[in-house]
Amino acid sequence: MTQTEHCYHCGEKNNPQQVYTTCVLGEPRPMCCPGCQAVAQAIVDNGLEDYYRFRTAPAAKGDDALLSTMAKLAVYDEPALQEEFVVDDGDEKQIELTLEGITCAACGWLIEKQLSKVKGIRQVSVNVAQRRAFVTWLPAQLSLSQIMETLHRIGYPALPFQPDQHEASYKKENKQFLKKLGLAGIMTMQVMMLAAALYFDWLGNMAAETRTYFHWVALTLTTPVVFYSGSTFYLGAMKALSAKTVNMDVPVSIAIFGTYMAGIKATLLQQGEVYFESICMFIFLLLLSRYLEHRSRHKAAEISANMMQYIPVTATKVTRNGEQQQVLAKSLQTDDVVSIKAGETVPIDGIVIAGKSTIDESMLTGEFKPAKKIVGDRVYGGTVNQNSTITVKVTNTLKNALVNQIIRLQSKAMASKPRVAQLADKLASIFVFAVLLIAASTFLIWHWLGNEQAFWITISVLVATCPCALGLATPSALTCAMAYLNRRGVLLKRADALEQLSQVDTVIFDKTGTLTEGVFAISQIWLAANAKEDHVLAIMASLEALSEHPIAGAFTHNTTLPVSDFTVHSGEGITGIINGDVYRVGTANYACLGKPPTLPKANVFISCNGHYLAGFQVADKIKDDAQCLVNGFSDKHRILLSGDIQENVSQVAQRLGINEAVGGNTPKQKYAFVLQRQQAGNRIMMLGDGINDAPVLAAADIAVAVGNATDVAKSAADVILLGDKMAAIPELFKLAKRVNMTIKQNMAWALGYNILVLPFAVSGVLTPWMAVIGMSLSSIIVVTNSTKLLK
Amino acid sequence: MSIIYVLIPLAIIIVAIAIAIFFWAVKSNQFDDLDRQGYSILYDDDLPPEEKKLAEERKKLNE
Repeated sequence: MTQTEHCYHCGEKNNPQQVYTTCVLGEPRPMCCPGCQAVAQAIVDNGLEDYYRFRTAPAAKGDDALLSTMAKLAVYDEPALQEEFVVDDGDEKQIELTLEGITCAACGWLIEKQLSKVKGIRQVSVNVAQRRAFVTWLPAQLSLSQIMETLHRIGYPALPFQPDQHEASYKKENKQFLKKLGLAGIMTMQVMMLAAALYFDWLGNMAAETRTYFHWVALTLTTPVVFYSGSTFYLGAMKALSAKTVNMDVPVSIAIFGTYMAGIKATLLQQGEVYFESICMFIFLLLLSRYLEHRSRHKAAEISANMMQYIPVTATKVTRNGEQQQVLAKSLQTDDVVSIKAGETVPIDGIVIAGKSTIDESMLTGEFKPAKKIVGDRVYGGTVNQNSTITVKVTNTLKNALVNQIIRLQSKAMASKPRVAQLADKLASIFVFAVLLIAASTFLIWHWLGNEQAFWITISVLVATCPCALGLATPSALTCAMAYLNRRGVLLKRADALEQLSQVDTVIFDKTGTLTEGVFAISQIWLAANAKEDHVLAIMASLEALSEHPIAGAFTHNTTLPVSDFTVHSGEGITGIINGDVYRVGTANYACLGKPPTLPKANVFISCNGHYLAGFQVADKIKDDAQCLVNGFSDKHRILLSGDIQENVSQVAQRLGINEAVGGNTPKQKYAFVLQRQQAGNRIMMLGDGINDAPVLAAADIAVAVGNATDVAKSAADVILLGDKMAAIPELFKLAKRVNMTIKQNMAWALGYNILVLPFAVSGVLTPWMAVIGMSLSSIIVVTNSTKLLK
Repeated sequence: MSIIYVLIPLAIIIVAIAIAIFFWAVKSNQFDDLDRQGYSILYDDDLPPEEKKLAEERKKLNE
């Protein structure tokens, strides 16, 4: 990458005709756009050039429309809006912001430095991994919009973020785990030190009272570990017992408390064995595996939660006396009147009462054909007004808007999604019963035989058969697989999705946006014997330039010829005169006056003075890697499911070789379609991108949100493609197979070890400390086996 | 050996302090982001301006 060809700030290619420069680190640096230039200048002016020295990745591209974006920030100062995401703490206010454009750790530094200079800021902390900032400020000196403006100026657009309940509870649990783990870890070291002294006293030099003293110290240190760190297991065990089942926590709790009580007894009576260090290590290692499991299940959910940014939609309300006023969309009531300019998002559902325009409704319907709207037509919140200003009377409050109805349908689908019972859980309850039974009979038999060690042998059995490695088998494999996929641009939101992948037998594709670009293009041309392609294309482009039909965009040419007497016959075609010749373009019958040539695939024809000139197949352009993607699922039943008309859907399905094509479905019908297939026993993987796909994505067994998917679709998906490379999906299946294999190996080893060691424990050869070390080794082997998935 | 009757309780107190600090660190979100803090040492923003200039000159010489 040479210095002058690429933007110094964001690393994109510069336009050689127009290069912007900023002086950074003592040298003029080229920039690709005024946005990057402004951001770089702001960074330099604030004395934060060090950012460029230490960053490890180029920055995100600056925003060209900086000023217009910033003007809209004022709405965030509304108290009614702030109520939802700002914590008011007397004089101070706190907020969590999601930041766009964070690329490396240097960004975190830059943001903290920049904000801490602003008067009125109390505290800033940036979390680079999560791309969030936590800001505390004094509202008396500073407004929220000013903070957001400062961030925007240095190239990090910020939006308020509100963690959902799920994430908030995860965070709390995570902290609990860290504290318990830290305490157990530190204490284990201390107790181990004392235990080493006791164990290595081979010559018996230690005075009896020193021994007792050591026991007391170890007891003191172990107590917080047993009661605080170990509480996770007792609570789990109690929960299971109150539900009249057993889980792994039950034998664990018995082993911990048994050893602890015996330790207290031995310390008080000054005779017998103590195994405090074994208790500590046991709790520490078990907690570690629980913590790993907890993290692997939530890591991805955390990243994707950022996508759920809180974006309040603003609207321009027209008051009774004709004044225009910026308000929040959610404060709009029915019968309010709002004005929507070209390029703005329609804030709410309503009826057009003045003006006409075309509206891009693709986010709701998935179809790219803009809808024409005149007075009396309905418009829907979330769609984009394209041409001119319209005035709309509100018919539904935001809560009841169509887009929110779709989102509600999605949450309903998510809640009722069938969960697959985990293999480990099924195994565990059988396993635990067996362990308890064996431990009890071991104790009874040894006791009956009169062995004083009966109790310790029983504890050894409980520890040796501890399903620690079994507990690690699945989470460690899934964590490694997720890390592997992350590096390849695939984000797994739900780790157990990998376990379910192998059962998928049906793949459903969304059409527009997923397999096709949503833009018409010429896919094939047939020419009459005397026609020249270039000439025909020039004529077509000249005629179609005057047409508003969506397929007109498919015809482009660099020369435009003058057209006269242009007429449109709606639903049939267009006619125009070029150089005195009459050209008719449209359906076969219209263009060729009832005597069309037999070209079954062509759907647009052109004739010159009544003579057939050429036929075109114009179709929705299929994405480059779509074919490759579809071929990757050759062993599964493939269905194309779309809201587009059946004819177009069948055509695309035929071109790509998809078995079944279902068209003309509303989001609700799509949802019903998937449910019906699931009831028929199919395991379904769904690929989609739009808001209209969200309910069906939520219902599918495995949902994949394809690159550039809408946030709603992403929140419904289990797998999110970060890049635009769809070919990674079939690879997902290969990885899933490897993961399942690894999990099985892990389980086989974990169970195998436990069964192998059982006779030794039962016969009393194994002391509790040996059992703990054996268990740790077994866990390490399982984790090592899982890390093979990283490669 | 009677020294251990003093040293071990002392060690326990130090451990207790360490745990208290660790709990405080967890509580104040210090374990949330493990990528970023490692870079803080690289920035010379804690140096007074004159020293910063010197540091930059040194850097230039090394380049």
